[in-house]
Amino acid sequence: MAWLFNYFSFLKHSTSQQILISFALIISLVFIFLLSVSFGSFNFSIIEFLFPSESSIQKTVLLEIRIPRVLLAGFVGASLGLSGASLQGLFRNPLADPGLIGVSAGAALGAALVIVLGSTYIPAYIFNTLALPISAVAGAALVISLLYFFTRGFGYQGITYMLLIGIAVNAFASVGIGILTFISTDSELRGLTFWTMGSFGGASWQIILPALMIIMLSMFWMIPSSRKLDLLQLGEPEAYRLGIDVQKLKFKVIVSSAITVGISVSLSGMIGFVGLVVPHLVRLLGGVNHSFLLPASAFLGASLMMGADLLSRLLIAPAELPVGLITSAIGAPFFLWLIFRSRRI
Amino acid sequence: MSIKISSISYQINNKNILKDISLEVELGEILCILGPNGAGKSTLLKLLSGDFKPSSGEIYFDDKNLNEISIQERSFMRSVMAQSQAIVFDFSVKEIIEMGWLDKGLASYADKFQEALDEIAEETSVKDLLNEKFNVLSGGEQRRVHFARTLLQTWRPSNSTDPIYLLLDEPTANLDILHEKKMMQKIKDKAAGGIGVMIILHDINVAAKYSDKVAIFKDGELKDIGPPSKVFDEEKLSATYGLPMKINRNPYLITY
Repeated sequence: MAWLFNYFSFLKHSTSQQILISFALIISLVFIFLLSVSFGSFNFSIIEFLFPSESSIQKTVLLEIRIPRVLLAGFVGASLGLSGASLQGLFRNPLADPGLIGVSAGAALGAALVIVLGSTYIPAYIFNTLALPISAVAGAALVISLLYFFTRGFGYQGITYMLLIGIAVNAFASVGIGILTFISTDSELRGLTFWTMGSFGGASWQIILPALMIIMLSMFWMIPSSRKLDLLQLGEPEAYRLGIDVQKLKFKVIVSSAITVGISVSLSGMIGFVGLVVPHLVRLLGGVNHSFLLPASAFLGASLMMGADLLSRLLIAPAELPVGLITSAIGAPFFLWLIFRSRRI
Repeated sequence: MSIKISSISYQINNKNILKDISLEVELGEILCILGPNGAGKSTLLKLLSGDFKPSSGEIYFDDKNLNEISIQERSFMRSVMAQSQAIVFDFSVKEIIEMGWLDKGLASYADKFQEALDEIAEETSVKDLLNEKFNVLSGGEQRRVHFARTLLQTWRPSNSTDPIYLLLDEPTANLDILHEKKMMQKIKDKAAGGIGVMIILHDINVAAKYSDKVAIFKDGELKDIGPPSKVFDEEKLSATYGLPMKINRNPYLITY
């Protein structure tokens, strides 16, 4: 039990009000989960979810399609929210986001490589489950290493560089995806489109179980660094003088972001603005300290993503809107509002 | 117990920033570093903080080589206040000060946080600012908040005998004369309580009033070190700063 107490000791830097807000976020997360599971092209009552009836088709839809899909949406939202919050903290820049700095694009390029070339060069038994996430993670990691290299270890003066390099990497990745689109067959093309617009439609237990486990481990690995991210806000030398191993912290934040974002993108495609907007919403709700911000961004990100997925299924039912369209349609105006609001966020 | 600097040099691109410096900061004394811009004062402070390593020479904290002291251990034995960077997110003053309260190794007095905070907030006159947002404060107020954080890092219960050092790089920059006086008095009190202080200052009259020893730097070299009454000499000072200076003995005032 001691390690559990130790693990959660970062919470002592949150106020009781912040812990209350976090609980409210968890409750709304459960509520939206139940709502998302209940509604769709098949409707279930919550009672049916808790005590599944014997009707086999309904049970199959619920257990094999609906629940994995909603879970995936939740985890992708959580990893985007968490990595957005931790990258903003690491870069000390309120505009950092896995998408803006090209990490998602790197992951998508990695995924696209496997979709288009994978069936030719990789044995089928690996291709099914492992090659895609691994290639996407490698793409994300490559982008982050490039950023690290070009910004000289993410120095303070490197922030403008970082965004410019992000733009360049985004452009480079879209060229790569363009070439892959050009040489792809019709079925591969359909797979590619699935990534660039974002959807949770393909979720099945076989694919998401290992992914969710890795995402969860990586999040649990990252979250206790929240206090160190607070101290980093004083500047790198100051954090170091307060006893923080800054290099180690950077490594942790970047590796865990690459893993969670890489896996999320590989399973759901490019979903914009969640990683940028969610941390700002959380800061408005309860404060800027990372011991509150990191877990709360994960909870809120999960809720918002499940909500967006629910909307994507309901708006033009029985057809589906790509969820990336919905998050961008909501996120883009919010982003504009952030810019115009004030320079201090 | 002291910080001992044994003939350190520091070069960047074959340019000598510091040349063969040896000096000692003892517990209970204030050593003031003086010198014109570009003399290597801040570099010396960064070397002592362990931000980077000297090109040659050694630094000892209480006879232990700085290289052999872990990053975390260092944070318990010395507290550094240097030029601070802008803080992007809207932290409150209390949160900023609390960052000086180190997480681990405080087991013996972990429950004393509120006592320490109250005491230091009072002493640095930031009590009324605690619930403000740090970013709306003036430059001088922000400086006082950082000073409070620096003091909190070295706070110990009154019966503690831990050797502790303060390394301060122009802590009084941007302060009005009242708060400058208060801060210097506070530093003096800390030294009287057994803490070793190294402080970089520009105002030689402030240095003369508060330091036990002064060290004069120019072009990366230590020109002179000793009590102010010995080191401050009209000719030497004029040569160091390239500015004619005059020392009045009663009341003591250096004019230029």
